[in-house]
Amino acid sequence: MARYTEKLYRRHMWILMTAYVALMLLVWPHARGMANLPLKVVLALAPTVPVIALICLIAKRVMASDELQQRLHMMALGFATGGVATASLAGGFLAAAGVIRLDGDVLIWMFPALSLIYGVTHIVLGRRYGGADCG
Amino acid sequence: MNNRVRELRENQRWSQAQLAELLDVSRQTVNAIETGKYDPSLPLAFRIARMFGKRIETIFLPEESA
Repeated sequence: MARYTEKLYRRHMWILMTAYVALMLLVWPHARGMANLPLKVVLALAPTVPVIALICLIAKRVMASDELQQRLHMMALGFATGGVATASLAGGFLAAAGVIRLDGDVLIWMFPALSLIYGVTHIVLGRRYGGADCG
Repeated sequence: MNNRVRELRENQRWSQAQLAELLDVSRQTVNAIETGKYDPSLPLAFRIARMFGKRIETIFLPEESA
């Protein structure tokens, strides 16, 4: 089975992240001022396209990795999901009780938070299992 | 679970990377198995046994119960 190499994954990831930043800076700002509703929706959702592609890329990477690496990916993903779920639940309860004010913009930060916790946990677990080439 | 993977690999004069390539796993996985940090699945354990031409129970040994 040909492995989806870390180098190739990183190259694809950087292309998608560059597209994401470009869309956020060049396309998304026009969404707020757009009068045409269908176009507004398209502009507002444009940055999700590279993010969806990135999720597919991560899935491809996980599927192409061996059993230990898959375990590490799943553990990191479980940890990240638990962390973000707990934080969003706590934030939701606090907002519902009127302790803090949250608007819809906070949802934008869920995926980056998930990715950050996932990435850090994966690195920590990779070191614990004694290797640098945790794909 | 204890194992003799490192000993058998060194007898063959293979590097961890070479064994990893033969088994179609990462070098990290070979290292984790050798150091006892990870116990391989049964299919991978059989592949390792086949690679060294040995029976699985002569490579992977249960730890002594306390």
